[in-house]
Amino acid sequence: MKDQITRRDFIKLVGAAGGGLVLAVYLDACVPSAPKVVTPTIVGPTSTLPPAITWAPNIYLKVDEQGILTVTAFRSEMGQGIRTAIAMLIAEELDVAWDSVRIEQALADSRYGDQQTGGSVSVSSYYTGLRVAGAVARQMLVNVAAQAWKTDAAQCRTEAGFVIHPDGQQKSAYGDLVDRAAEMKVPSIASLKDPSDFRILGKDIGHWDAPQIVTGKAVYGLDVRLQNMLFAVIARCPVFDGTFDSYDDTATKAVPGVRQVIALEDRIAVVAENTWAAIQGRNALKVVWNEGSNATLSSDDMKNAAITQLAKAKPKEGNLTAIYESPYEAHATMEPMNCTAYAHDGLCEVWAPTQSPQDVQRAVASAANLRSDKVIVHVTLIGGGFGRRLQSDYAEEAAQVAMKLDVPVQVVWTREDDIQHDFYHPMAVQYFSQPLDQVYIPGGLARGGFSVPTGAWRSVENFAQAYGVQCFIDEMASALKRDPLDLRLELYSGRAANVIKLAAEQAGWGQPMAAGEGRGLAYHATFGVTHVAYVAEVAVVETGKVRVKRVVAAVDCGQTVNPDNVAAQIESGIVFGLTAALKAQTTVKNGRVQQSNFFDYPILQMSEMPLVEVYVVPSDQSPSGMGEMGVPPIAPAVANAVFAATGKRVRHIPIR
Amino acid sequence: MPTFDLQVNNHAYTVQAEEGMPLLWVLRDLLRLTGTKFGCGIGMCGTCTVLIDGEPTRSCITPVSSVVGKYIVTIEGLSEDGTHPVQKAWEEEKVVQCGYCQPGQVLNAVALLEKNPHPSDSDIDSAMQNVLCRCGTYQRIRKAIHRAAEEA
Repeated sequence: MKDQITRRDFIKLVGAAGGGLVLAVYLDACVPSAPKVVTPTIVGPTSTLPPAITWAPNIYLKVDEQGILTVTAFRSEMGQGIRTAIAMLIAEELDVAWDSVRIEQALADSRYGDQQTGGSVSVSSYYTGLRVAGAVARQMLVNVAAQAWKTDAAQCRTEAGFVIHPDGQQKSAYGDLVDRAAEMKVPSIASLKDPSDFRILGKDIGHWDAPQIVTGKAVYGLDVRLQNMLFAVIARCPVFDGTFDSYDDTATKAVPGVRQVIALEDRIAVVAENTWAAIQGRNALKVVWNEGSNATLSSDDMKNAAITQLAKAKPKEGNLTAIYESPYEAHATMEPMNCTAYAHDGLCEVWAPTQSPQDVQRAVASAANLRSDKVIVHVTLIGGGFGRRLQSDYAEEAAQVAMKLDVPVQVVWTREDDIQHDFYHPMAVQYFSQPLDQVYIPGGLARGGFSVPTGAWRSVENFAQAYGVQCFIDEMASALKRDPLDLRLELYSGRAANVIKLAAEQAGWGQPMAAGEGRGLAYHATFGVTHVAYVAEVAVVETGKVRVKRVVAAVDCGQTVNPDNVAAQIESGIVFGLTAALKAQTTVKNGRVQQSNFFDYPILQMSEMPLVEVYVVPSDQSPSGMGEMGVPPIAPAVANAVFAATGKRVRHIPIR
Repeated sequence: MPTFDLQVNNHAYTVQAEEGMPLLWVLRDLLRLTGTKFGCGIGMCGTCTVLIDGEPTRSCITPVSSVVGKYIVTIEGLSEDGTHPVQKAWEEEKVVQCGYCQPGQVLNAVALLEKNPHPSDSDIDSAMQNVLCRCGTYQRIRKAIHRAAEEA
């Protein structure tokens, strides 16, 4: 152990949690030394900054002389609640009142390890580590107070920002201890609270950013405003991987407010004084595109070829066989893609609503021909991610534009740009063929990929998998004349069977329903970790028109940090999944995405929102993640309910 | 370029803009009031909603020239300190997820409650139908509107 906490240091912790479990958690004990940033003044809304910082025992937290805890959010917030969860974990073990918590967002910074926010793993990866970070800091404050009181630190306790003397009378505010704590040695051992002593974890706490959001002060990527900044809109070839042969910008340059037209390798940026002028300028641009080899690409052709190929398989006699289809899907985040970039002082500084700041850093470094340490990545709040913002394309092109300017530039994607230049959820065609004399969980043979750019889309392959498998289980049940619930309880056991039973019970499985209405059940464990079962109740009101009236959800995600947020993520997953299950799909013809805005990529609306009831299974298991897990089971639950209502089996998405 | 005198959140502004420039971009880029969000640009998602003489209006398709002399309220001007009953209800019902559409949701709800202080679920559905939320906070929005109705 080193004496100086300002020195880069690692400590090994032996914690008391989990019945003698040895925790080897490494905390970087040095005070953050931010890279040299020549950040221009942000004009306009900014988050409230905490007062002067006096003590930072590790890279995750600081406590100032007013006793304000500032935690560093090193993962990206896109609505899943990670900023709040990080703060809750630290605040719990440090033992401060929730209203003295502040949050700052980390830059892209390798000291935080991989900062990619994806795969629903932020809480499961850091559940213990962040508690340890708080517990170590708390122990240091206790040691300082005990030393001053000349008493045994082990006899002192803490409560909401105070160290309490063993006499139960004297107390010392954290803020009054931080200057001495800064001179303390970082302890090698700190104990974690017993869950029965939790004051913050397990409580329903709204998003920390909510007050800023409902007053319009929260800063998303598009809200970054810098002095002298310009705005750019980019013309991209409508065909995937296409480029341009030539362009005529005469009319563009005549648009008032347009400053400059910048040709990049395969696209053209229109730079203007405001976003509107940039949009008008781009509309006026005449481009001769070079559509390249994808000019005839058609998603229908690709799908039909896959079906033909899969249908050639000769199923064994007596097998039950089915093909399930699901289309490409866009992410359609409410905040379209955007990035603000500023090349100055040998740096490229970017403000990006990104799920992967370090990928942005690498992409910008490469685009700007700079070393990574010359690229500063500020992470803003994200107006919806769903995997789209794991990509760095929007930051790369913003950096390319910024490198040609001496002022900051915000590259704005219109909704049409966003819907047509996505990395889509892959289309999938799945083939199932199973004997019926022995029942087991079916496995599909999938065809996907093809030539359209694809990427992670909330729950990735789990969406199509759950659709095929859970619908096919119902087909098996139907062929065997068995109840879909009973068959599932034979196929699944343990935590899986538990959530299936719970959802069915709460939904009143088996009770009669009105004509034209039906109940459908589905279960899926996304990434194999979080168990989610849904019972959907639907009414098929007119030909093909499916109305989802109620969804009963049962979830086992291990211990919960913020139980109400578990329910929120289930509601969210259901709505996200219903948009794909019932309404929106991305199709490609002549190499172009055929949809462009919310009229042809329609997302679920208020009047289509089912009543959602969420039952969370109490658990002492490790937390297993929630951001994506609500999506996969909804489409099969609805398709199975449509079968129950109509006797018609739906093997394609959107269900209609 | 013409100039326009605007009344936004009790402040008088004079802006120089093209006549057809939508109010959205005047607010966001010229006045740097970024609480009003850009979502679709065609008046379909409601994210850009502001109140014009109390009416919920899609600022992305409202030319600046059409709002001179009218009283414009954006999310920044709804209350001094976030204590409007609708803002409070939004926090109490833990509505927000990513939050991007919420300024538009809040202002549409404010306008609904002005006209109909005790809306039913179906009143809420029709009034809020065209304000899109990709995170799926609709159920909580319904609850928050009922709560605001009770507390107002």
